[in-house]
Amino acid sequence: MDVFSFSRGPLEPARWRDALADPSCGGYASFEGWVRDHNEGRRVRHLEYEAFEALAIKEGKRIVDEAIERFGVTRAACVHRVGDLGLGELAVWVGVSAAHRAEAFAACRYIIDEVKHRVPIWKKEHYADGDSGWVNCERCAATGAQAHGHAHAHPDGAADRHGNEHGSSAPCATEPAPPADYSRQIALPEVGTAGQARLAAASVLVVGAGGLGVPVLQYLAAAGVGRLGIVDGDLVEASNLHRQPLYCPADVGRPKAEIAAERLRSLNPEVRVEAHAVHATAANIDALVAQHDLVVECTDNFRAKFLVSDAVVRALKPAVFASVHQYEGQLQVYRPLPHWPCLRCLWPEAPRDGMVGTCAEAGVLGPVPATLGALQAMAALKRLLGLDAGEAPALVTVDLLSLGTRRLLSPRNPGCDHENPGAAAPVVEAPLELGFTTLAEAFESGLELVDVRESWERAHDPPGLLIPTHLPLSELVHGHAEFPAEGRYLIICAHGVRSLSLTEHLRARGQSEVYSLRGGLAALRG
Amino acid sequence: MNDIEVQYFAVLRERAGVGRETVSTAAATAADLYDELAARHEFGLPRAMLRVAVNDEFADWSRPLAAGDRVVFIPPVAGG
Repeated sequence: MDVFSFSRGPLEPARWRDALADPSCGGYASFEGWVRDHNEGRRVRHLEYEAFEALAIKEGKRIVDEAIERFGVTRAACVHRVGDLGLGELAVWVGVSAAHRAEAFAACRYIIDEVKHRVPIWKKEHYADGDSGWVNCERCAATGAQAHGHAHAHPDGAADRHGNEHGSSAPCATEPAPPADYSRQIALPEVGTAGQARLAAASVLVVGAGGLGVPVLQYLAAAGVGRLGIVDGDLVEASNLHRQPLYCPADVGRPKAEIAAERLRSLNPEVRVEAHAVHATAANIDALVAQHDLVVECTDNFRAKFLVSDAVVRALKPAVFASVHQYEGQLQVYRPLPHWPCLRCLWPEAPRDGMVGTCAEAGVLGPVPATLGALQAMAALKRLLGLDAGEAPALVTVDLLSLGTRRLLSPRNPGCDHENPGAAAPVVEAPLELGFTTLAEAFESGLELVDVRESWERAHDPPGLLIPTHLPLSELVHGHAEFPAEGRYLIICAHGVRSLSLTEHLRARGQSEVYSLRGGLAALRG
Repeated sequence: MNDIEVQYFAVLRERAGVGRETVSTAAATAADLYDELAARHEFGLPRAMLRVAVNDEFADWSRPLAAGDRVVFIPPVAGG
């Protein structure tokens, strides 16, 4: 069966349910969305669903696949009705089978929420008073779609969370969104309509959507930069919110790049925003850089900073770097000109992560990265608008306690090979995953084993209880537990997906001796 | 002895307990000055990991110092 499909006739949950059955499954959860008789105080008689099917099926399949991978469930499927539906009819069905009930419920919830939010399906409500209206508030808020100019109304129960669950503060447009108004920046003689057109034609890659990246993204999107790429493989954590106010508590545990992209699309529907929910690596950085005119480096680790520096030197693209430490920050612009230094010119001995404090260890107040991020956004706009001519290369230091800034002129280091950036000290990446055949073998590796599964998963798995250290991922993500900063660890989950994501996160934070158990506990037994 | 105005950043500021200070020193070069101050403030970072700027320009560690110079020691920072 197709994991996501449309049906023109009545849905048959019993048939779909049987298709999900599997001897390894101990539970099945399903959700049914029904046509109800009222919406926002109006009597509804019947409904019509209409979908942009080619696109919708693609996105729907992606959602189901994400749910299977994210929650480690066995099978999942979703079927949506299109056409004319009467009251009480089944509009959408989601089913999930899994070894245990908790992941079945979670995956089911994920699929219906994401389908409501991401799949282009429109609903026309026919009211008792003879009136009718197209309804798709969520998609409208997410994409700025203006296709139907519909009345503001909420579809069935699952969608009542509109604007809340995803933390979107964007009001649902009741009329087509007016074109963005850039008049206050066009009024600047140095910008004008020609400058605005340059911004609209520009494409900027922002690596890191955290304390620095959030203001960079907000200001570049608001200014009308035509295309923004966001690279960030982290999930939103509770401890991020004080300095990354683009996110809200409901986002905790969800991919930063995707949430940021959603918010920016509401902020300025004219900007094309692409989310890359991955960490920058030697394998992907060149392709990402190649697709953009300028790179803004906003990560919190040296590994990524040098990776980006090497990539922009190779690609001859300008870049804006910044870093913060407690109350201070540093800003450096790179331009592909003969006398301009790269990051390695300034720091020939590539510093190792963990040597100087990160935000997690050293602490930080939100306005510090916000200030440096705003300076990065300004530097990027200056470059795109050509307002930085005559500027000499420098490292700018900012101290937010004394409000002191310094501009330290930094020449190109003649010993730094820009033909072959990073060759002298390449960014070394140890494998993220290690494979073992038995748990005993993993114990013998000398690494400390850490089980990051949830408590209910451990309870159902007696052999897994042999692993003494238990740090559930949900507690780490919500800041109720801290992963130890020192030591050598093998991180373990059920299928090796969550452990890999945590390992990437810890590596990016500067912990070099953490590994993920490939395939998780399932691989040991299989 | 020369009076030199010294400014610290990041972990060096934390170690020194001050963001800036005027030191009276016999150090002939930026390297000598760092070594002297590293001993006094127990800086853990080796010189090779830092940069020094004299009078608002990045300089070599062998750069000679003169009375009234403004010296800034900068470690790399990565927070974001």
